[in-house]
Amino acid sequence: MLILNAVINGLLFGGVLALMAFGMNLMFGVVQIVHLAYGQFIMVGLYLVYLLTVLYHVPLLLSCALATIAIALLSVLCYYSVVKPLLKAPPINQLLALAGLWIVLENACLAFFGATYKGVQVVLPVLHVGEVYIAASNLIGFGVGLITLGLLYLFLNKTYTGVAIRAVAQDAEVSGIMGINSRTIYLITFVVGGALAGITAACFVPVYAVHPHFGSAFTLLAFIIVILGGMGNLIGGFIGAFIIGVVTSVSSTLLNPEIGQIIALLICLLIIILRPQGLLGVRART
Amino acid sequence: MKFMENFRKGIPLLILVLLVICPFVFSSPYLLHIFILIFIWSYVTTVWSYMGRFGIISLGHGAFFGIGVYTTAILFNLYNISPWLGMLAGGLAAAAIAVVLGYSCFKFGVIGHYFAIATLVLAEIITLVIIALRDTLETGGKLGLTVRSLGTSPLFFQFENQLIFYYITLALLGLALLIWKKIDDSKVQRALKAVGEDEEAALSLGIDVVKYKTTMFAISAFMTALGGTAYIQFTMFADPTTCTGVGLSLGIVFKAIIGGMFTLWGPTIGSALIVVLEEYTRLALGSAFVSYSQIIYGLLIIILIRFLPGGLHGTLSDLFRQKREREVQVLLSGRQLADPHE
Repeated sequence: MLILNAVINGLLFGGVLALMAFGMNLMFGVVQIVHLAYGQFIMVGLYLVYLLTVLYHVPLLLSCALATIAIALLSVLCYYSVVKPLLKAPPINQLLALAGLWIVLENACLAFFGATYKGVQVVLPVLHVGEVYIAASNLIGFGVGLITLGLLYLFLNKTYTGVAIRAVAQDAEVSGIMGINSRTIYLITFVVGGALAGITAACFVPVYAVHPHFGSAFTLLAFIIVILGGMGNLIGGFIGAFIIGVVTSVSSTLLNPEIGQIIALLICLLIIILRPQGLLGVRART
Repeated sequence: MKFMENFRKGIPLLILVLLVICPFVFSSPYLLHIFILIFIWSYVTTVWSYMGRFGIISLGHGAFFGIGVYTTAILFNLYNISPWLGMLAGGLAAAAIAVVLGYSCFKFGVIGHYFAIATLVLAEIITLVIIALRDTLETGGKLGLTVRSLGTSPLFFQFENQLIFYYITLALLGLALLIWKKIDDSKVQRALKAVGEDEEAALSLGIDVVKYKTTMFAISAFMTALGGTAYIQFTMFADPTTCTGVGLSLGIVFKAIIGGMFTLWGPTIGSALIVVLEEYTRLALGSAFVSYSQIIYGLLIIILIRFLPGGLHGTLSDLFRQKREREVQVLLSGRQLADPHE
């Protein structure tokens, strides 16, 4: 029963994880960049919600919306200041510059909010169906995650911009010939990715009290999922999120949280070495 | 020209002599402390650049440092084994992990930023293992551990006199720089440089890429762990945030980038700059504001990668070299050099 409980909560949490990984995956797929500071954006989002709700008494939902917009703007700033000048640079330079951004954001939060846990008190009931206990926070996260991903699916498939984004992801050069300005598409991708980080942060509000070191944990988690599903493979990332949700949830119930994370990271390492194209990917013939 | 050449060769010797005499001139313990920190971090950064300069960017050296730190401390605290032996054990453990990870990565063609990511994951795994062993091996989890103090005990690598650490760490740094030179003059250097430029071409010339890269990774990991031992014996305290993990790994890489990872002195210059910057902000603003120095240093990284990808020392020496080459070219009355970059 304990395991069933963990599996169900893990699956529900996987919904939020899918959302989180989707943003990073989208940026990798379209802009071909490993966004190492993505988790830090989520962390900043959590701090913004805390700042607005607790210190300025803005209603929770409104502050979540404002934080989402702010993170989208931060993402645009990141695009213009860090990513755009390095688009032509070797991938390792992009990675390191974004690692620099990671350090900046983490320490800015440390300097501004201090090293204590800051959280918004949200009292949510724990539902129980039969003998299974479900945290309502996980259920909300799952719902928001799925709805957002559904909207994104429509956006990517039914709108002109969405189709253009997918075209650039497939082949930036040819889509350029077709009259798509890849720079505009990159910018839109960063806006969407930033907004996704903001929404993820909003889903995390009832789950976590935030600490400056959480950013790196989020980045790594998103990373593991993206690698599991294959970098840039959106559906793979979606499935990977649920796998990781269940694995970490079950192993932290049975063993302890660190062992759960270690297992997830080991899986990730094995996949980088043995199947760099991800579980679902097709190995490109060389 | 001849004089200039000799002068340039003499500079390292001059610096060495100055550094050896230095503690007798300024005997302030605080200054000694700073110098020791600079030596340790310069050592680790230089050792990191053994790989970094060939385009093998490891974001996992924090893990090897942490292995050195914790192996030594645990062996001593729990089993009373001398840190000198712990140093060897830590180094071998780090090298073993490097061989396993390196061999499998290089064998399966995990290179460039994929390799960086794999090592980043390693750094996080080692941190979590250390935290998870909080009770089993008394690592103290996130709170850290303290090494049992024996006062001064040369057999157990404990000295109350900082001067000893000053010379030990200076010797380590000297060794690291010497090995850098040795690698630079060796066949390995040419092989790895070829690999760094075009892996497949190097492979087709019969260079055993996997062997060279794995060896270099193992040497680098081994020596990084030694630095960890020196660090823990000096500070007598370790916690996962300062002694291992992704943060430390990035710190090492950034020090190398700031100084310039392709030159002999770049990593040392970068480390000295960062240690001084951190200490300065700590003194000027108080220890609660250490994060401000980190912010500055993060911004510095972004700016440097954007404008000076060769690092401070690298870019400056490039400028000098170009000037020198121009002089040589004038001397050769306009005859073009075969390859200006050689």
